[in-house]
Amino acid sequence: MFTYSLMAGVLFGLYFTLIGLGLNLVFGVMRIVNLAHGDFLMLGAFLAFWLFTLFAVNPVPAVAIAFVAFVIVGLPLYYLLVPRLLRAKDPEMLSFILFFGLSQVIEAVTTIAFGTSERSIPGDQLGRAIAAVAGVFVGHKVETGPVELLGQTFPAAWVASGIVSGFAVLLVYLYLYRTRLGYLTRAVMDNRDEAIATGIDVHRISAVAFGIGLGLAAAAGVFAPFMLGSITPAMGAEVTVTSFAVIVIGSLGNPLGTVLGGVIYGISYMFMQSYYSSWANLLPYVLLIAILLVRPSGLLGRRVRRA
Amino acid sequence: MIRLSVFAALLASITTAGARAADAPAEIKLGTLYASSGRYASISMPVHDGLKLWIDQKNAEGGVYVKAFDKKIPIKLVAYDDQSSTATAATLYNQLITQDKVDILVADSGSVLTSVAVPIARDHKMFLIDQTGTGANFFTADNPYVALMADPISSIWPKPLADFLTHDGPGLGIKRIAMLYATNDFTGTQATAVRKFIKESNSGVELVFDEGVPTETSNYTVLLNNIRASNPDAVLHLGYASNDIAFLRNVQDSGIKFKFLFSIYPGIETELLEKNVGNKALNYVFTYVTSMDIAYKNEFGMSLKEYSDAWHKKYADSHVEFGFNSIAGYTTGLVLEKGLATADSLEQLELRKAIFSLSGKLKTLDGTFELDANGGQIGELTPLGQFIAGEDDHLKLVTVWPHELANGKLVYPRP
Amino acid sequence: MPRFVRHLLLILLPVVVIFAILPGIYSNHLLLFNFIIFMTLAQGINVIYGFTGYLPFGYVGFFGAGAYGFSLMALHLHTPPLVALPVGAAAAVALALLLTPLFRLAGAYFSIANLAAALALLQVVSNPNLENITKGPYGISLSGVFNPTLSYATALAILALTLGLVIYLRNSHFGMALKAIREDPISAGMAGINVVRERIIAWLLSALIAGFAGGVFAWNVSVFYPETVFNVEFTIFAIVFALFGGNATVTGPILGVVILYGIYNAVGISTPQYFQLLYGLLIMGLVLFLPNGLVSLLQRWGIDVP
Repeated sequence: MFTYSLMAGVLFGLYFTLIGLGLNLVFGVMRIVNLAHGDFLMLGAFLAFWLFTLFAVNPVPAVAIAFVAFVIVGLPLYYLLVPRLLRAKDPEMLSFILFFGLSQVIEAVTTIAFGTSERSIPGDQLGRAIAAVAGVFVGHKVETGPVELLGQTFPAAWVASGIVSGFAVLLVYLYLYRTRLGYLTRAVMDNRDEAIATGIDVHRISAVAFGIGLGLAAAAGVFAPFMLGSITPAMGAEVTVTSFAVIVIGSLGNPLGTVLGGVIYGISYMFMQSYYSSWANLLPYVLLIAILLVRPSGLLGRRVRRA
Repeated sequence: MIRLSVFAALLASITTAGARAADAPAEIKLGTLYASSGRYASISMPVHDGLKLWIDQKNAEGGVYVKAFDKKIPIKLVAYDDQSSTATAATLYNQLITQDKVDILVADSGSVLTSVAVPIARDHKMFLIDQTGTGANFFTADNPYVALMADPISSIWPKPLADFLTHDGPGLGIKRIAMLYATNDFTGTQATAVRKFIKESNSGVELVFDEGVPTETSNYTVLLNNIRASNPDAVLHLGYASNDIAFLRNVQDSGIKFKFLFSIYPGIETELLEKNVGNKALNYVFTYVTSMDIAYKNEFGMSLKEYSDAWHKKYADSHVEFGFNSIAGYTTGLVLEKGLATADSLEQLELRKAIFSLSGKLKTLDGTFELDANGGQIGELTPLGQFIAGEDDHLKLVTVWPHELANGKLVYPRP
Repeated sequence: MPRFVRHLLLILLPVVVIFAILPGIYSNHLLLFNFIIFMTLAQGINVIYGFTGYLPFGYVGFFGAGAYGFSLMALHLHTPPLVALPVGAAAAVALALLLTPLFRLAGAYFSIANLAAALALLQVVSNPNLENITKGPYGISLSGVFNPTLSYATALAILALTLGLVIYLRNSHFGMALKAIREDPISAGMAGINVVRERIIAWLLSALIAGFAGGVFAWNVSVFYPETVFNVEFTIFAIVFALFGGNATVTGPILGVVILYGIYNAVGISTPQYFQLLYGLLIMGLVLFLPNGLVSLLQRWGIDVP
């Protein structure tokens, strides 16, 4: 029971790392609280659902499609909303409310368009993809179904999302630390005003970061039907708060921190489910508050503005 | 003397009949709420559409027959959207009573949205027609202003399941039971009831795993592992539709095969579960058999087939699923119809009396309508059944308990 | 006549009188009651956000604490409602005291932590293991306490006291100190204002307001589930109403509630399916185009709004 919870926690946590990655980027770069993050995840999930139902597209390529689609959506959305927002007296607080409004709009439009019933993608789709990939490596046909790791079996979806998550973290890390755009992004994350002073086009950088953030949320959303049961237009809200807990535990602005945050969250959640199941949902909030009070800059410590 | 009193009675009835027909209202105002969005929309819309179907049908016939005025009076539906918010619902219920001055007050679907109506109806002395709110604490001896129409109260609902486990279970080798439930009023109360029934039965059956999880829980992989570790002969999962979907998918994804698996919503919202979970995962699953799958001999109102045809004709383009909840809305209408045809006036307590008088006697497509003294529904119980796939992979729901209604053999343990 | 008294007569008196008379004319008393509750909550937000710049995104936590404090007293100790009410409010203040360490955090962190605290409290209260105390997820049912008339009158009294408090803040040194802290805490500190102490007082006051509102709400409705009184909608509405009207004024939140909540109920009744969409767009438009509220328009034209 203990080992299983531990390993399940790591895998489950990696999924939340994927979810938190986009949020981390957006908050780190713009200091904007995207309360609609969970809703973009939901939109990614619906995109995957419709791609599968209408065009029989397997979820794995749907991840890439969702990512690209929402990067493209994010860019104009940024320019539409953020520059005006930043002109107000208190943009950080107002961003809460603005993006809350956005989340309501997204939810409303999705509900009107698709109705409120639960939707899902058959569980074996991811299993097939993994089997196909594994078959390439191993050389012979691999069976679909649950995957065995260190003697314990886990649903194929968990392993798939763990792999994709690790991949995404790697990509974000490479982006931030190995590309010029990423280098400029880190400058903006560090100190926005100084970045403007040195002539960096902060809006362009932020727009790209925002787009990537949304893209990552949508990509994570593709796994939602497998990790979170089923998808409905209203599923976003809960995911948003949990992902905040994850990024805060790690530390803001550092993608590796989100990995740590996700894994810690995942393991604790699984242990709670095993031993104190009815209290399990209390966990993310308690973790969030505890970290903020004890070590506000997160476990991997970056400087945080103090009041 | 007798003749005089007979004459007087006749005279009285004629004059009052004339007076009654004279001051009959032009329409009967029926007020209700529905949730078009939010977490209760999926249980609310089918119920609402079912009620609307009944209303439209009656109005097409010229109205519903009201004994108090001895004529058919059309029904005017006054319905507001509470968006699954209890605060909004409370204000809107009040609006229906105080501004729209409805003659009949019908609650929205589910315990949560009904709960706010209970004190409001009581305060304004309106008889609340509770459609599917099964919370047992709505029905207390000191409040006559509520009655449950179409679902049994949560503390009685699992009786068929518990009875099967305690009577037939030991004979099949079922001794160890694992129960996982979502902690909310609907399923938490059912879990408590199951626990109670098992304890009182003294049949040697025991709960080896008994855990509650929050209703928002959406993944059960670790819990399933722990359930499996407790080595159960039977596993019961009591949760809402989204919990069932996640649970059954996780069971399938982990490759675990429990000897006996019960969950609520495969029976109550079969179409929804089939779409989300798939036939393979539902095979051999035990569930409640609702009036969707048992053609109860209806002595009043449409039969299941007739209703289904009427529904699919009327709502051909709708997103709303046809299921047990759609029947619930229609059943409410039937009870109202019979009630109005029995009540001597439109007074709220008179309506109550008329509806209570139907207890044990009204048989509709939903089963036998039966109320306990406080207005809780103890009839319309849902038997226990099992999904068994035929050669064409199509799932057939076989009723296995009670024996009088059984129409097939169950498969235990699952292969 | 001192400004304080003038404002009292100009604002507090008409509002209280109108809401005292309305039940006689308009029979949906619950709607009127909700107006009063939201006006109280919007002023509570005003006290903490308008005057100190901290946005408590978990404001509903105090509301719920007040509701449960009241209910537990009435349920277990059978205290009369008017005695249980201050206990409920005290519970909210106790929660606020517990959360004061959050003030070390800046801006968004504070808000998120506050939100987490409110959600955590909801989880604790609705846990079935605590069923014997809080009735867990099965909800509270207070029979014998139900009294719509008296609870309405009490709510009105609470609103009056709240308005009085805000008028006082608007016209006092304390209020000015708070606004100074909001604009620039460092300079305020250098000017001799005890930043930490003043902020905490404002925080406790706003929690007190929400606690009373929650308690009287529980009294009025007397049957509720945990999610009803910990519904994030209360926070959102209170914030949006306060923002729409305008912060750090007395009339701003009142205007915000009357206009927006009025529209909410009118639209909610007539075109519900597009309702969430319209409200979401409204909130976005508000933040983008009128972030300082309606009264800022008036202030721009030179009118000094109380």
